[in-house]
Amino acid sequence: MTVWAVLQVMTLVLIVIGSVLAVWLKDLLAAVLALGGASLLLSLEFYLLQAPDVAIAEAGIGAALTTAIFILAIRKTRRKEEE
Amino acid sequence: MIVALPFGVAAAVLLGFILASMVRLGIGPTAADRAVALDTINTLVVATMILLGAAFGQVVLMDVALVYALLSFVSTLYIARYLEGGLK
Repeated sequence: MTVWAVLQVMTLVLIVIGSVLAVWLKDLLAAVLALGGASLLLSLEFYLLQAPDVAIAEAGIGAALTTAIFILAIRKTRRKEEE
Repeated sequence: MIVALPFGVAAAVLLGFILASMVRLGIGPTAADRAVALDTINTLVVATMILLGAAFGQVVLMDVALVYALLSFVSTLYIARYLEGGLK
């Protein structure tokens, strides 16, 4: 098992943790922040797989722009998720 | 893909720091804690990308870290404006 494979497994575990947090948290702002973190780590995974163009698109659109748009939507609606 | 062992160990340590920040992102009591944790994760991922770009020895890989370091500012700015109560 090479060093590269170890780095990939660690990144994938972090993506899973961020995604579970995004589903599990009831505060929608915190869920959006966790989703942004998971998307950023997915960009790092594309980077590890030697796809820099995909990593740029994922980081720019998935992590930065989507977070901003979700926060604008939370601003217009309510923040807490209802049971 | 071949990564030299010192670069790999340094990147693994940075990923451990990202895990610690992810714990704070999960349990943080206030939204400000979570925002700071996400900003820390941003910085650590940019550092990891630069480190791995040096390990792979390709200059084009640095552009990803550069673009993301510019764009993460926008996301953090929106979160801070929302927490402040602005963003009309």
